[in-house]
Amino acid sequence: MTRALSWFFSLVALGAVALLVGVFVWQSLPVWHHEGWGYVTGTKWFFRQKEFGTLPMIYSTVIVGLIALVLAAPLGFGAAIFTAEYLPRRARLAVKVLIELLAGVPSVVYGLLGILLLRDWIYNLFEKFEPLSGDTLLTAGVLLAVMILPTIVTLSDDALRGVSSAQRRAARGLGLTHAETVLSIAIPQAKRGLGAALLLALGRALGETIAVFLVVGRQDNNMPEHIFSLRAWLEAGQTITSKLGGSETNIAYGDPVHWGAMIGLALLLLIMTGTVTLLGTGFGKRSDA
Amino acid sequence: MKFLPAFLALLLVTPTLFAETLKINGSTTVNLPAAEATEILRAEQKMDIQVDTQGGSSGGISMLGDGLVQIGMSSKPVSDDDRAKFPKVKFDEIHIGQDAVAIIVSKDVWDSGVHALTKQQIQDIYESKITNWKDVGANKSIRIAFFNKEPGRGTWEVFAHWVYGDPKKAPQVSFPEVGGNEETRTKVSSTRGALSQLSSSWADGKKVFALGVKGDDGKVIDPTNENIANKTYPLSRPLFLLTNGEPVGAAKSFVDFMLSERGQELVKKHGYMRLKDLGK
Repeated sequence: MTRALSWFFSLVALGAVALLVGVFVWQSLPVWHHEGWGYVTGTKWFFRQKEFGTLPMIYSTVIVGLIALVLAAPLGFGAAIFTAEYLPRRARLAVKVLIELLAGVPSVVYGLLGILLLRDWIYNLFEKFEPLSGDTLLTAGVLLAVMILPTIVTLSDDALRGVSSAQRRAARGLGLTHAETVLSIAIPQAKRGLGAALLLALGRALGETIAVFLVVGRQDNNMPEHIFSLRAWLEAGQTITSKLGGSETNIAYGDPVHWGAMIGLALLLLIMTGTVTLLGTGFGKRSDA
Repeated sequence: MKFLPAFLALLLVTPTLFAETLKINGSTTVNLPAAEATEILRAEQKMDIQVDTQGGSSGGISMLGDGLVQIGMSSKPVSDDDRAKFPKVKFDEIHIGQDAVAIIVSKDVWDSGVHALTKQQIQDIYESKITNWKDVGANKSIRIAFFNKEPGRGTWEVFAHWVYGDPKKAPQVSFPEVGGNEETRTKVSSTRGALSQLSSSWADGKKVFALGVKGDDGKVIDPTNENIANKTYPLSRPLFLLTNGEPVGAAKSFVDFMLSERGQELVKKHGYMRLKDLGK
């Protein structure tokens, strides 16, 4: 009975995802007909001229996510090692609760803090490089780093705690110091879990909307000449989520190609976050600890 | 189990409660007096009203079209395209006041001596032919940081209508975009060399400054109430409440209130022109 029920509910969940993807594919068909592969390789989005190229948005989404990850990973891992390996149990739980509380702060609150503090900070800090305003890919990346930090900390902490204490004791018995035990026993054993923490955090970063919306500048078609150009980080951009969060969806409604282009963005986003999340979950499961 | 009857009763009552909720959505410009009217009607007539500003004027039109709200707020007329999108909806435009769109700049630009622009200069800035304030009369070199109102906003439509004759003829440009009035004001005031379009009532002259429009004869017309009322200032726009057909029930009470003496005072309080000021 339990078995049948669990099969049933798994199928319902699967069906819901399949339906979602199905609707997105179906609704975005007009734009695929209209643009073909140009939809993902084109660099110009001018809806009045019926041009729908999404590459700059994919670029901005990926860059913003990567900036967030690069900034949050060392901090998050450091904090997790501290809570999991050095804090006594009670203190660890207290710190963990606080950090998980941060994960529950609504993203619009982060966004408003970003407008109030982060925009001006970045704008003045990088004045030498003459950013046109404080709305930049970097601002969005830094803001996202703060937002995904709790995810990284709490998942990494779980991964480290999953390493059996027998191994730790054995290591200490062989004469390794506390720090050496952490570095050569706990971290290598937990590396899949740590990787999964990063991937799941990236999934969250890619899909975050309103906070990014408020600080990224929402400038269309800002594709740099070289994709690794750091200068582009100090310019405004448009991510897939900030495009979807804007008022263009209201204009698109009723025009099949334009509407298809907006839904197509949702499909691209779903594919990106879905892949990263699935990778993260699978990565964590095959633990060799 | 003793809560079950109470719970069931609640289930029965809830739909009727929801049925009386008047939902309003649209332009942040119209929202200012509308939200205050909502407060008054809630307190005095115990009306249940929800006001939101998702998507600006276009959001108001499309949510009314979809039947998600009973009243849409818009700072632009309903276009033929909008009517074609929602053929079953009979859009009724109720004119409640008039607003002007100001071309606003940050303090450093104002202090550098730029107090007015010609239409041609504004067009050149919009098309990135002019990118420095020095080229339009500033006493020093400041790069122009143009924040474009996002398409679909009433403010943008009025701007594009004035510069290009028809919003559809406006060239597609790529600038950082801003949405609501609050966001526009915050971003312009905190950015050097900033320029944007903003409802004139939000241009406070402390954080952001409204430029005048310089005519071919060199005469500067500022967006003052007088110039808006006698239509010498070119960038003005009507403010509408939109309903599907003649307003009825709660929607009618709301519309009637906005058109009453008290409602019109709210329109004036937020810096817009009353119907009376327009000679209506």
